[in-house]
Amino acid sequence: MALSQTAQELELADPSLARYNRQMLWEPIGIAGQKKLRAAHVLMVGCGALGTVLANTLARAGVGTLTIVDRDFIELNNLQRQVLFDEQDIADQLPKAEAAKRKIAAINSSVRVEAVVADVNHTNIEQLAAGKHLLLDGTDNFETRFLINDTSIKTGIPWIYGACISAMGLGMVIRPGITPCLRCIFETAPPPGMNPTCDTAGVLGPTVNLVASWQAMEAIKLLTENIATLSPFMFSFDMWDNRYQQLNVAKARDIADCPACKHGNLEYLSGKFGGSTTTLCGRNAVQISQPAGSRIDFEQVAKNLAAVGKPTFNKFMLKCPIREGHGENKKDFEITLFSDGRAIIKGTNDAATAKAIYARYVGS
Amino acid sequence: MAIKVRIPTPLRSLTNGVDMLEAAGADVQSVLTEVCARFSGMEKRLFKEPGELNRFVNIYVNDEDIRFLENLKTPVKDGDDLSIVPAIAGG
Repeated sequence: MALSQTAQELELADPSLARYNRQMLWEPIGIAGQKKLRAAHVLMVGCGALGTVLANTLARAGVGTLTIVDRDFIELNNLQRQVLFDEQDIADQLPKAEAAKRKIAAINSSVRVEAVVADVNHTNIEQLAAGKHLLLDGTDNFETRFLINDTSIKTGIPWIYGACISAMGLGMVIRPGITPCLRCIFETAPPPGMNPTCDTAGVLGPTVNLVASWQAMEAIKLLTENIATLSPFMFSFDMWDNRYQQLNVAKARDIADCPACKHGNLEYLSGKFGGSTTTLCGRNAVQISQPAGSRIDFEQVAKNLAAVGKPTFNKFMLKCPIREGHGENKKDFEITLFSDGRAIIKGTNDAATAKAIYARYVGS
Repeated sequence: MAIKVRIPTPLRSLTNGVDMLEAAGADVQSVLTEVCARFSGMEKRLFKEPGELNRFVNIYVNDEDIRFLENLKTPVKDGDDLSIVPAIAGG
């Protein structure tokens, strides 16, 4: 084994990597590992709390190409924990993926970022995953996680699960065919409404940072091919209670009767499970997806909506508050419409109500 | 026998915020039966039907998944640590 190189030697060896010398001094990475990071292309599914920490960390670490997919826009209550966003992004009504791309360009201009403002669903995830070395979970719902899991099994691309609420978090590295998959651990999602959400139970910034930092570290190990050091456990913690566990899940792949990785029933990817509406975690909002290929003419929609509200729009999205009923029966909603026809209906957790609002004001 | 049972955040609304309690029992089933008896609504959150856990909740004894031990019949002893780990969606 070669003797370790000094920081100066590392810089001389490849000046384009000079900014990473503190990272390359860590021998398991070195110049060879840094070049592997530069050659890597990662799909980041979701760019909210976990996603912004992941994108920030991996861009600074020098991962060469990031495809960031997010369906959402930025709200004031995101800023407490979503580290790539600021008040100006809200004023500019930027989608999260686009705002993240702009921030990363300022942080590390050598990283290529593809911002995709879209809902990840069974119609588009395989195309999004194609050619990527790793899929990263920055989502806030079970449906998309199971979809990532199915895609990973079908394509052989590894993914890293992460989730959190309040001060509690979970994480796991999933390498299809080698480790248990997510459905080996949790075969089903809880029924809607059963578990508290980040909105009802809250979530603390350090919780998000810990989960995403753990995911990012595993991502760096994986992308630099330090495979033996990957965590074989499910990482579980509650920071408030000072409790950190490594749960033994190694046997799950052999013993669990997994519908996905053992029986090959990719029920989320096939569209059998998961629908065109998704209740958003703790947001009092429902997302309505449209089949791939839909396009929206914001000007026309804004004209239509002018009769019922005061729509505003830019090239990324249209927003319009809608008030239905009056007096004690009045209900306030807000439609956010994206160019692919997808909408987030704020003001309800009920899919049918959201669909009705969409049909009434957008048309479907 | 006193078994330490860790209650995760998503279930603490059922326990008035209690995050850890001690329960008695010779196996996981008997410990969980005591927990469910103590807190209204807990049984529905843990069990699909009597003797069958929901598939979105896992139980670990000293960090080992009971599915790979003896499931609900996994014996427990004084001082063991039983963790309830539900699937969580936030992020």
